[in-house]
Amino acid sequence: MTIRPFFLMVGMLLASAGALPGQAPCTPPESMKAQLQDNPKAAAYTDLGVWFAGQKQYACAADAFATSLQKEPDQKDAAHIAFMFGVSLYFSGDFRESIPALQEAEQLGYRDGSLHLILAGALDQSHSTRDAEQEWRSALEFDPESSTALDALSNDLLLDKDFPAVIALLNVPRLLGQRTPQQSLNLAAAYAATGKLDEAANLLRDGLNTSPDSLDISNRLAIVLMQLNRGDEALALLDLAVKQHPENARAHEALGLVLAQSKEMGAAKEQFERAIALGDNSPEAKANLAKAVAALGSEK
Amino acid sequence: MFSDFRPSQQTRRKALVFLTLFAVSFLCIAFLPSHLHPLGIGAPAHAAQDAAKTLSPISIDYPENGSIFPPGITPPTFLWRDAAGTSWSIDIAFADKSAPIHVVSKGDRMTLGPIDPDAVADSNQPPRLTTRQAATWIWTPDADTWSAMQAHSVAQAATVVITGYRDGQVAYSQSRLQFTTSRDPVGAPIFYRDVPLMPSAGVNGVVSPLAPTAIHLIHWRLRDITRPESHTVLKDMPTCGNCHSFSADGKTFGMDIDGPANDKGLYAVVPVQKHMTIDSKDMVSWNPAGQVGTTRVGFMSQVSPDGRYVLSTFAGPDLKLGDSYYVTNFLDYRFLQVFFPTRGILAWYDRTTGQRTPLPGADNPKYVQTDGVWSPDGKYIVFARAEARDPRPAGQPRALHALDASETQIQYDLYRIPFNDGKGGVAEPLAGASGNGMSNNFPKVSPDGRWIVFVQCKNGQLMRPDSQLYIVPSTGGTARRMRANTSLMNSWHSFSPNGRWMVFSSKARSPYTQMYLTHIDADGNDSPAILIDNTTAANRAVNIPEFANIAGDGIEDIAVHVADAPKDPGPKVAGALK
Repeated sequence: MTIRPFFLMVGMLLASAGALPGQAPCTPPESMKAQLQDNPKAAAYTDLGVWFAGQKQYACAADAFATSLQKEPDQKDAAHIAFMFGVSLYFSGDFRESIPALQEAEQLGYRDGSLHLILAGALDQSHSTRDAEQEWRSALEFDPESSTALDALSNDLLLDKDFPAVIALLNVPRLLGQRTPQQSLNLAAAYAATGKLDEAANLLRDGLNTSPDSLDISNRLAIVLMQLNRGDEALALLDLAVKQHPENARAHEALGLVLAQSKEMGAAKEQFERAIALGDNSPEAKANLAKAVAALGSEK
Repeated sequence: MFSDFRPSQQTRRKALVFLTLFAVSFLCIAFLPSHLHPLGIGAPAHAAQDAAKTLSPISIDYPENGSIFPPGITPPTFLWRDAAGTSWSIDIAFADKSAPIHVVSKGDRMTLGPIDPDAVADSNQPPRLTTRQAATWIWTPDADTWSAMQAHSVAQAATVVITGYRDGQVAYSQSRLQFTTSRDPVGAPIFYRDVPLMPSAGVNGVVSPLAPTAIHLIHWRLRDITRPESHTVLKDMPTCGNCHSFSADGKTFGMDIDGPANDKGLYAVVPVQKHMTIDSKDMVSWNPAGQVGTTRVGFMSQVSPDGRYVLSTFAGPDLKLGDSYYVTNFLDYRFLQVFFPTRGILAWYDRTTGQRTPLPGADNPKYVQTDGVWSPDGKYIVFARAEARDPRPAGQPRALHALDASETQIQYDLYRIPFNDGKGGVAEPLAGASGNGMSNNFPKVSPDGRWIVFVQCKNGQLMRPDSQLYIVPSTGGTARRMRANTSLMNSWHSFSPNGRWMVFSSKARSPYTQMYLTHIDADGNDSPAILIDNTTAANRAVNIPEFANIAGDGIEDIAVHVADAPKDPGPKVAGALK
């Protein structure tokens, strides 16, 4: 039998396996101890892995699944166990090692959308954006409405500045009812980046009506409205946002910026001051306030 | 006054620098994922105005602007989303100068209707509100209000203004829509199937759309849209009923029936009565000697307008299901089946002679010829055609979901052929519904014979997520995408007997399919979709709706007795059916 690289990796991982520092030790339940002592076959370790995963002891679960795979690489459920091994690694925080495990699960014939979701997440965590995009798309093959995949893939495409791909991905009638705030933001960003400001404004308005508490959408819509020279709408929008979120520094900062744009420096200054008082200690907030104060001073 | 403010030259210069800095920072950071970037500022704006005077737009999701309601339909539920308002006024103004209607709404949230506990399964999920629906506010006029709204919106459109308020009486948001009430009654009930979505994997792992033990949960119902509920005419059927049709005069009813012993070669043709019975004597067997096995034999059968003939798709006696249909079932209850013929010819069955005959011009085994429908005068047939192919070529991977690239690819074109008393003729492609790279299928001819409404999708036919309705002149021409199309799956349409209304099914609001109406005028212009409310439980689907040219209560019940083999030995087969 040829030992594939994947199983070599499993062996290497086993050599350094065990509970992570700060985690509970990998102690099997009493009910399984006897089975593991008397009959330590692959299936027993698989059961143990499932048990550890149920206890959210993912490093221990990964250890158990790895042992199962090493004991019997060609077992009937190897694909599923490799998947569980990869998932356990992922949830234990070992994103990089989870990637080959999940890829092996797929090669062994495991076909499920969750494999691609987790693999894509691991690839994104490892900054392999292009590979992650492929996996997000594979996940969407299984569930075209997966908000996890749509959110993440559109994020990745936006980082690539592939705006037409973002539009093609998200401007789909089927997704209308399911659109998340992140998808609204990303699709609007793609529209705006391709000069379709009216579409961006309409989409963000619709998104805000779906997610009234989203300051991200509210702020982004205000920006687009300002670009469209619809300052009165932007002011009304952010005025309401401040009413809805009186203790949110970002809401005040955003309103201050639009007021400044509208040359209402006194009102802008008040909003910048309020933002800082609410804890916005960023250099930008301080600079904005300084500029507003300077502008007021110049006016005098 | 702010408008009197005039900045000095120095201030202007500083302001310019200030704005430029902001603008540059905005341009650098705008429109990237929010968790990565802070807010910037945009291009210069007009002078600020009183914020409270600018009303933000409300998203009114239903009814859509320009909707046309049938007279007498039960009150619709208005749906809107609003980021600003916490209470609303609804003002309805009429062009006929009648008194406007003013209603105050504190805002009720959209909810789901009751569910059927018998239709709950591991393979489905309870209906849930979409992100949009969870943010939706509703208002349903009471019967008297709706009656007044309908009465005064016939000649000219009524205007509905929804205004959102907060902080007492301060208006923050507003939108409006117009609707009319048609003079055209729907005039006939809709006969439809009401099914649970419970795909089932057998012990061998083979997935079926519905477990045999759950077939009795299928109901057949009749809906008069002027009444608040549907009437169940048939349930607890021991076998599956499928495609069905009525003759134009509403006197004859035909239905594919899988039984007994799951024989998918049976077809029932019975007179329509208040109390109907389908017995073995009423059934025709397309599979008289069992030569085709327990496979689908007739497909998309259609009773002729005069009730004399039945037109159907046949694969031929030596072809089995696997040789003529692409079938894949999934455990995903939302789109649980892909099913379309890849081989087949049209043949017609004459009820007076008991003879089944291929239709020349639509009987070429090099093609699959299917979805045959009659023109209202019975003189021509419109059908879908594509090159015949293996339903599942060797080595082709199994599709995992609807629209998977692994589906066998087939794009149908619509054709038109004279019936010519069964002698057929030359099939001509229908311009606007052929040769366009899409799959054009499921044609229906309007009762006035002027229009054909068909489904267009990327691949195959039936229950396609991307299916859209198109209308084209019946002699061919430019096809128009219909206004009534919803965001997800638009298919299985049927004209009302007066031709002014069309019913179709869609999954726009829920994976549990619902029925919609659209008005179609003499020029083929249609209106936004109108939901037919309360057609079933929230966790059941309604599909294959067909108008029946009968009174609203024209069918009270249907009894089906198919436990015995059909007494009729089956039709004589004329000509080769391969």
